[in-house]
Amino acid sequence: MSSHQFPPPAPTTRREFLRLSTCGAGLLAFGRFAPTFLVNSARAAAPAPEKDRSILVLVQLAGGNDGLNTLVPFEDPDYYRLRPTIGIPADRVLRISDTLGFHPSCGALQGLFRDGRLAVVENVGYPNPNRSHFRSMEIWETASGSSDFVQTGWVGRYLDSACGGIPTDSHDPLAVHANTPNGEPPTLVGARQHPTFGLAAAGTRRGGSEESRRILERDSPEGHTDDNVGFLRQTLMDTLVTEVRVQKLLDGYRPNGAYPSNPFAASLRSVAGLIAGGLPTRVYFVTLGGFDTHVDQAPTQARLLTVLSEGLAAFQGDLRAKGLDGQVLTMTFSEFGRRPGENESKGTDHGTAAPLFVLGSRVKGGLLGSAPRLNLPRNQDLSFSTDFRSVYGTVLDRWLGCRSKTVLGADFPSLPFV
Amino acid sequence: MNLSLSAPEAWDPLPTGAWDDAAARHLLRRATWAAGPAEVGRAVSEGLPATLDRLFPAAPSAWPKPPLVAALENDMPAFRQQAAQASDAVKRLLRREEVERSQVAVRDMGVRWMELAAVPENSAFEKWVLFLSGVYVVATEKVKNAAFVYRHFEILAQGALASAPSLAKAVSRSPAMEVYLDLVENRAHAPNENFARELFELFLLGEGNYTEDDIKDAARAFTGYRLQPGTGRFVFAPRQHDDGEKTVFGHTGRFTGDDIIELAYRQRAAGAHLPKRMAAFYLSDIPLPADFLLGIGDRWRGEGNLELRWLVRTFFGSRLFFAPEFRGNFIKSPVQLYLGLVQDLGLKVVPVPRLVLNPLRQMGQTPFDPPNVRGWVGGRAWINSASLAARREVVERLFAPFDADTLTADEVREVDLVRVGEAASFSVPDGFLEPWATLEPEAVVARLSEEFLAIPPEAAFLDGLRQFLKTGARYPTEHKRRLRRAMMTVFESPEYQVC
Repeated sequence: MSSHQFPPPAPTTRREFLRLSTCGAGLLAFGRFAPTFLVNSARAAAPAPEKDRSILVLVQLAGGNDGLNTLVPFEDPDYYRLRPTIGIPADRVLRISDTLGFHPSCGALQGLFRDGRLAVVENVGYPNPNRSHFRSMEIWETASGSSDFVQTGWVGRYLDSACGGIPTDSHDPLAVHANTPNGEPPTLVGARQHPTFGLAAAGTRRGGSEESRRILERDSPEGHTDDNVGFLRQTLMDTLVTEVRVQKLLDGYRPNGAYPSNPFAASLRSVAGLIAGGLPTRVYFVTLGGFDTHVDQAPTQARLLTVLSEGLAAFQGDLRAKGLDGQVLTMTFSEFGRRPGENESKGTDHGTAAPLFVLGSRVKGGLLGSAPRLNLPRNQDLSFSTDFRSVYGTVLDRWLGCRSKTVLGADFPSLPFV
Repeated sequence: MNLSLSAPEAWDPLPTGAWDDAAARHLLRRATWAAGPAEVGRAVSEGLPATLDRLFPAAPSAWPKPPLVAALENDMPAFRQQAAQASDAVKRLLRREEVERSQVAVRDMGVRWMELAAVPENSAFEKWVLFLSGVYVVATEKVKNAAFVYRHFEILAQGALASAPSLAKAVSRSPAMEVYLDLVENRAHAPNENFARELFELFLLGEGNYTEDDIKDAARAFTGYRLQPGTGRFVFAPRQHDDGEKTVFGHTGRFTGDDIIELAYRQRAAGAHLPKRMAAFYLSDIPLPADFLLGIGDRWRGEGNLELRWLVRTFFGSRLFFAPEFRGNFIKSPVQLYLGLVQDLGLKVVPVPRLVLNPLRQMGQTPFDPPNVRGWVGGRAWINSASLAARREVVERLFAPFDADTLTADEVREVDLVRVGEAASFSVPDGFLEPWATLEPEAVVARLSEEFLAIPPEAAFLDGLRQFLKTGARYPTEHKRRLRRAMMTVFESPEYQVC
């Protein structure tokens, strides 16, 4: 930790700011709705995608997905003791090993697992877990220790580090996101400003006319300040330029195979369209929310896992048909798993560790990590066995090609999924 | 951020000599939605204390129950009775009809609130209620009952300037809250921690000021909170209540829910928590240092007696609130942007849910429906390329002629009622431009930024505007068109997004 500052310092000069805000590593994040800017005058033709890129797609399962009913230890009597009404019967589980099986809604994921393209990391968490949605999500997004408070997201720091010394004049979106409930996900916030781009909710028209656009589109030195006004000026500038290009790519996109008709799948379809369009974006962020199942968990989780499983399978199939699957690694995460013992409302309360999925044709499929011990008293939580920063570290070192210690501040044991 | 004041002096009253036009504009833009020249003049001549009395009146104007909510409440008992005797299939249909009627009523209520809040005399108080609704969050998506949501807002409005512990107790009995945070599922032998956790984390204390054990025992104290079937009124069910001993914040006793709220307000952190939320909503997206928050918090718990009126008066009347580092650098919320435009342009809110609530949702804020229990994050989280496009689109709509032909029959009826009664205008009329049409381009640009912008725009932008206005200035029709477009561009500018 002595050779570099952690987190890295903010840019201090306009020149440095410009260099950083137009560097080569980009980032896109999607929320729940399909984009619908109306852009009529896009002209730029999409270049062919680079052949050897590595792209990360983060899928956030917001609300705290119940891990024990996602990856079911159907041979463990303690599982059924802790979950007398919401436990999934062994004969309905989709088996992936002698002792573990997926939730019945995860048929498509079971197929990807059998094909060796899906890795399941068991029991992922962190020491001294926090059961607040917001604090725990913050810990996952900033990759901090449980008692540390960090202002930047782990992907933001990756961009800080990856962006050093890559000067280009591109106006391509470096950080793009859409309709995530609170705007830009904190995961993507760096010490330096990386321009973000969000896709509009269904029904939005791109505001303004060409005349207004020409007056607003300006790039003067005094605009580049690091206060809120500078942030607004820079965001508007990047937006005006990017809108045209992104919409052109999405309008012209023809996926291979059908995506389910739900907003999550539509977001993945847009990600595929932008990847296929050759945007120089390295990280995409898509949210699927609603996992906070305190009451009557079974129907809600079944619906959400169907959306997740079928959406990811359609995405993977589309990429594969286009020969882009070798460039993309998709990873899920959630702020916490849920309490092993069900509550009296046929639901589960906030808990700790849970499994996560890593998907891609260059992923080494299979089960990783070790299963949680379930011989617990009723109200006790799981003890994690794999630190989530091991997963991040592996992705950084072996997929994104970035020294993980510069982003995570320490070395964590890597996992053999890539 | 470098603060120009020290913690001990920060919350002292603003000296009378510092109350000028600029200070009045700052107060009006932050505590209400806009700072029109007439409002600024009035505030300056009245002085700060009298202005605060007027903005936060002792008896704020009541919000009449929206007719759709009243009708829903009225029909509900018969509806439930019918459902009780029906087959499962009919039950499902009835339930769906109830939910759909409720959704329509909630949207109607949203527009009615926007109309209420757009009236200058109501603005500061209704903005304060909006703030409280971002603290005591309920989401209509889960509550699914318009009458409950209305009742929740009634509770917030009635207690908005009274004692903070009383408001918290009233909220714990709010039917919408009962449903939203699963209090109705909280039973003596099966406590559900959802409400107790958010009570400490988000409503009263903030993270780090309680333990997991505090939450577990507090949840037991809130058992037995129930809603009467049919009417949905709060009832306490002693047989569902866990009457045993609980230990919370080191105190042990057979506590009730109200006791827990009292105990929480005895914590020093409770004094600082609401001011912290206020600073984030009204002042700055950079958090104030802890000693500043504890400074006002300790005084609020002492001389302020935990009265919300004291807190509001002290906060908006303080030297800190008017400090130069807090001027012109706060990003407007979508509701503020919308209502600020309506007030700056002298318009009425069009009483059509679709035309008001859809743009608000696209900008990221639907009144009465925060994204999650944390409320709206605010600040830079409001801004991304999608929400900026939506903000510009709102300006385009308010300047485009209002087209009644696109309305449905129901919508036409609502619009006519307002038109007949108040001769309202929903989009910028040509008359609004008349006083500007005779000015030289230089003067137009100068006055636009003086009247509507909290900070001066970039020189390049002003040059662009001037050039645009000079072209075609000899032809009156073209000049008016360009004047209109220049104004729209000012309202679409980055500078208009801050206050």
